[in-house]
Amino acid sequence: MDKRKISINKSKIAVSITIGIMSFMMIYVMLIQINLVNYDKRGEVEFLRETELKELLANYKEKYNETEQQLIDTKAKIEEYKREDKSEEDAVALLAEEVKQANMLLGNTKVKGEGIVITMENNIRYDERESSIIKSADIISLINELKLAGAEAISVNNERIVAKSDVFDVGNFVCINGQRTSSPYEIKAIGDRKHLEAALTIKEGFIDTYTNNDYIINIESYEEITIDKYEGEMTLNYAKNNINTKK
Amino acid sequence: MKNKKQIAIAIGAMCALLTTAIVIQLNTIKAATTIVGSTYAEQSLKDEVLKWKENYEALYRNLEEEEGNLEKARQEVTQENGRGTELEENLATLNKLLGLTELTGKGVIVTLSDNKSTTISELSPAIDMNDLIIHDDNLIYTVNELFNAGAEAISINGQRIISTTAITCKGTVISVNGVKLNSPFVINAIGNPESLFALDRNGGELEYIRNTGALAEVKKSDNVTVEKYTGTLSPKYIQNAE
Repeated sequence: MDKRKISINKSKIAVSITIGIMSFMMIYVMLIQINLVNYDKRGEVEFLRETELKELLANYKEKYNETEQQLIDTKAKIEEYKREDKSEEDAVALLAEEVKQANMLLGNTKVKGEGIVITMENNIRYDERESSIIKSADIISLINELKLAGAEAISVNNERIVAKSDVFDVGNFVCINGQRTSSPYEIKAIGDRKHLEAALTIKEGFIDTYTNNDYIINIESYEEITIDKYEGEMTLNYAKNNINTKK
Repeated sequence: MKNKKQIAIAIGAMCALLTTAIVIQLNTIKAATTIVGSTYAEQSLKDEVLKWKENYEALYRNLEEEEGNLEKARQEVTQENGRGTELEENLATLNKLLGLTELTGKGVIVTLSDNKSTTISELSPAIDMNDLIIHDDNLIYTVNELFNAGAEAISINGQRIISTTAITCKGTVISVNGVKLNSPFVINAIGNPESLFALDRNGGELEYIRNTGALAEVKKSDNVTVEKYTGTLSPKYIQNAE
């Protein structure tokens, strides 16, 4: 009887030890797992895939080149201002040129350049159908596509699209910069016209999607188009330069 | 006795099996990490990305410095000249409008975020996971409504909205000005706080976002900061036609 008791105890001990070892192993693995998760938070590039890395690299290279060009231009301007034989009139003319350039970038001047003209029209045959009426959402989407494709100036029915432009539905009309307009819509965009056209006509791109919606849509490419200036006012009543930021 | 031996052997075998499994698991994790993280080609690609990022940032700081110098040079030539001073002030205002300076003022802060609190088990089959996250359209329409309400300057997670800003979505990644952004999206807008706050109205985009299941809130602030645009404005195709 005694012998038997002892052997029971022995096997109990063995079981306990085994379970102990197993628990220990499990905890160990859990710790390693937790460490791995923490490791994941390291550096923004650490866990990107190869294609993403290549994209990011191209992005930085492009930014670098643009910045380099801008730096060269800025230095040239400084040189111009500092030229010793420069008269006051020259300096003022130079400044006027910079003001003109800034106004052009803002949309305050009429501009020209190569580009595309898109015409979109409600489809009258299907006038009863909601989907055949062009809505602000369609125009917003088109403007966004054009910007993504590098458009430098855009207008919709001669309303220049600027940073603060808004596009809204008012019944079957569309309001752009607060001005009411309606179908047919003529959207002009200045930029690399091959690129602009390609961006809209790719499979499942803007044209594909919207022809399916029964709109009548057409793209023409031109060597030179003109886009009117923004007619509204640009004022800042609330926004001030942040003096706390270093120059 | 025989029975107990069998039990002991069984437990022993199970332990051995478990241990083997754990070891295999560990090795797999190691291997996986190696494949994802450190093949030679990827490591050098990462190094290159970081190198170009540093190069770009250093060059950009250099550019900012030179722009400061340019402003000084302008001021020096124009300080004694009435017309020059006028143009100088004019240019400073235009640069503010272009998004080339950091602005502060009264306004609102809008926060749009993916709804992560809802677990899969709470989802009825009728709810689409896609509805619980913020999409590019949500940002585009919110910005559109803010400008309609008179916003003077807007940024999303630090990216200033300028005339050429595109807001896009590729897969589940949203980009503004070509820079990838993640939820939560904090939209800073300067303008009349009362009119901007009216963004939160029946039939507005914020209500729409909330109805789909994602999160949207807006609060007024006396001190909203809108960061400057950090890219370059170098048009290649437009020319003045006046």
